[in-house]
Amino acid sequence: MNPQTRAVRALNRFGLGARAGEASTLGDPKGWLLDQLEDPPPSVVGDVPDEDEVWVRIGAFRERQRARDREGAQEAGRRMRELYRREARLLLDTRVTTERPFVERLVAFWSNHLCISVGATAVVAPLAGLYERQAVRPHVLGRFEEMVLASVRHPAMLVYLDNFRSIGPDSAAARLVRQNRNRELGLNENYARELLELHTLGLDGGYGQGDVEELARLLTGWTVPSLLPWRRAQLERMGRDGSGARGPGSQRGPGRGDGDESEPGFAFLSVLHDPGEKAVLAGRYGEGQAEGERAIRDLCRHPATADFVAGKLARHFLSEEPAARDVEALASVFRATGGDLSAVAARLVELETAWDPDTRLFRTPQDWLVAVLRAVRHDEAPDRATGVLRQLRHTVWAPDAPRGYPDGARSWADPDSLMNRAELARSLAGQAPRDDLRPERLLSVLELSGDDPLPALVHDETIGARERLALVLGGPAFQWR
Amino acid sequence: MDRRGFVRGMCLGGLATFALPAVRFAQVPGDGRLVFLLLRGGVDGLAALVPAHDPAYARARRGLALPDEALTDLDGRFALGPGLEPLAQLWNRDELLAVHALAIPYRSRSHFDSQAVLETGLDVPSGAADGWLNRLLGVMGGEARGVAVAAGMPRSLTGPASVSTWSPTRLGSVGGAYLDRLALLYRRDRELHDRFEAALQMKELAGDEGDAMGSRGTGLAARYAAVMDATARFLAQSDGPNVAAVEFSGWDTHAAQGGADGPLARRLGGLAQALADFPERMGDRWRDTTVVVMTEFGRTVAVNGSGGTDHGTGGAAFVLGPRVRRSMVVADWPGLADGELFEGRDVRPTLDTRALLKGVLAGTFDLTAGQADRVFPESGGVQGRYDLMI
Repeated sequence: MNPQTRAVRALNRFGLGARAGEASTLGDPKGWLLDQLEDPPPSVVGDVPDEDEVWVRIGAFRERQRARDREGAQEAGRRMRELYRREARLLLDTRVTTERPFVERLVAFWSNHLCISVGATAVVAPLAGLYERQAVRPHVLGRFEEMVLASVRHPAMLVYLDNFRSIGPDSAAARLVRQNRNRELGLNENYARELLELHTLGLDGGYGQGDVEELARLLTGWTVPSLLPWRRAQLERMGRDGSGARGPGSQRGPGRGDGDESEPGFAFLSVLHDPGEKAVLAGRYGEGQAEGERAIRDLCRHPATADFVAGKLARHFLSEEPAARDVEALASVFRATGGDLSAVAARLVELETAWDPDTRLFRTPQDWLVAVLRAVRHDEAPDRATGVLRQLRHTVWAPDAPRGYPDGARSWADPDSLMNRAELARSLAGQAPRDDLRPERLLSVLELSGDDPLPALVHDETIGARERLALVLGGPAFQWR
Repeated sequence: MDRRGFVRGMCLGGLATFALPAVRFAQVPGDGRLVFLLLRGGVDGLAALVPAHDPAYARARRGLALPDEALTDLDGRFALGPGLEPLAQLWNRDELLAVHALAIPYRSRSHFDSQAVLETGLDVPSGAADGWLNRLLGVMGGEARGVAVAAGMPRSLTGPASVSTWSPTRLGSVGGAYLDRLALLYRRDRELHDRFEAALQMKELAGDEGDAMGSRGTGLAARYAAVMDATARFLAQSDGPNVAAVEFSGWDTHAAQGGADGPLARRLGGLAQALADFPERMGDRWRDTTVVVMTEFGRTVAVNGSGGTDHGTGGAAFVLGPRVRRSMVVADWPGLADGELFEGRDVRPTLDTRALLKGVLAGTFDLTAGQADRVFPESGGVQGRYDLMI
């Protein structure tokens, strides 16, 4: 690969798309990528919504729901989604303008690995941006287990995968409700299963149904008290009446309160926690929040987790069918460094496969759209960007299932999607700034083979400039990186 | 000059290596049409097809047990759950099989694994295997065609046989010359050229009306209806595809799935209405059509701690169409009493999905049992239910 092609490869394969002429300014492509890993955790551009505002709007929604005010709840729901749209828009602005596109790719990767979805339930929407900023961004250049633990403690995740309402069948609260109201409270094993299957060990990680249930028991009590159907006083009473010597009704989560509606967020509530020993894989755990944390750290350090995460990274950055030795190279760095994600990312860049001209990866719709916007020199995402992504079935923070969005041509390069991109390329080219309509400059953002007919078309001035621009953006070369 | 004329012209003009693949929807010997409708997420089979006769039902379901007045009785034993009332029309016309205690052969409660097994038709999950609908096209011979009326290509249809996708999303109008030039560019891409060609064909088949479909309502029922209408539009054409894969997600009801007028019932209602309207959309072609509605697994028998159900095993399915021998409930019912549940929590499966599908294929496409076995290569030990279809 010649230096120019290597630069284009660095910008497209690991970044968010080359800008016209950018490749020749890059210097050492590998060094350009590694330098990005040195800086502080990546942040979002622009004014992000304030966390208190998020909870105020959720509180208003819950209050209207409790009052059975249907119209009021709809209006409050709209105000929650407004926060989501603002955050999604700022995320796209960040991707379009960032000078550390490799790190933004890592944010997107890990955010999708530990995904939440605003499609699941109304309360996730206002929390989605907060989730990525609080649980993912601080750790993308840090340690895997801290990221996973931050996600387990995050209200967005606890709501999305139902853990906030999973209650130990033998907990103080469940016993009390059984006794007084003859109703059963119980486990919801959704999160425990996905934590094993999707976040840590992977499907072939060697766990069984028993491990799912035991982990679900360990995770009871990890909740968002302000979203539960009980008020703080009730929870405290449960703790006193039901658990006797089992201590206080709650332990404070980091920086957040414990069942007081004025102080929302994560808390561990021991009244909901299932007592007794739990066995997950080879580990034996007791009661309380610290034991849950210990179990999650054990899962993150399990050898199967390194293999699973390495395979997923390799498929995202190297090849749809990565060589076993590349996956092992990444897994061994992951294991040796205790899940240092910066070290793993650096190893990725060093692998020869990344620079092999014969490998290519199909851009996801989000990455394609961002690459288009970077290529045609936008300094922010256009208003319609989030809506367009919905139509390309790659809405920001809204995968259909907890597995997150898939990678690869098999998932994204179906006929209808190619046509959608062709249509969209034409319409975006129609709106491109008039003073920058020089489609031939965009040939520098692509890896083209010598006999590709694109340059001839792009230089054919009998074709309108906007259509030539669309041919670059909608044509096959731009779909790959 | 039309698009092909243009492309051929380009080929003659010195770009002769861009040979035009002769792809078209051709007349096939059999006129059968199959819709495989996959409900992703795991539909609660006990909410869809209710074993009202089972003495253990109410106690086993606890808070999710439905009252008689919310049910539409089928055969005195099983009833359609709330929302599915429109399917009674098909039942009354002898065009409905309601199937219960059905499961894939692999015991996993993972969406991912279970969908992989259901869509590949194999015994165990495989990352690489092709989908059984694609294998079906191969068994039927080179003329048969498939389309996914879905956003994206479902696993069930992936494989060597040429297939297409179409969804009611249109993102701008594009002119013929632009598409011709793009086609020229795509012809150079070894992986994508067939797909782009297929997209152009679908655009032609859908016509102008197809372009307008994206602008219909956004509610759940409107979306289901739009997708089923588009499916009918393609399948009803005499030279249209024989096989359509359709999918709807959002059935993973871990919390607050609700009772007679809850969220799950409303979702089922939208689905049932779209299915009940489908025969009319198909017109004369309906007589050759079978629709199979399946999901990757059933859900737990008992309600969970949050008014929902967790991933389970045995579930329900439906088969619609005039080739059904007569309306009936197909269920070797294992019962819901404590000792009868699979691993103490799920409906015990008594029928392999492939036994049902083999029967459906034989009935819809006049395949022999040997051909049906080739569609499901590892299923030799699974006897097809060839008694259910004419």
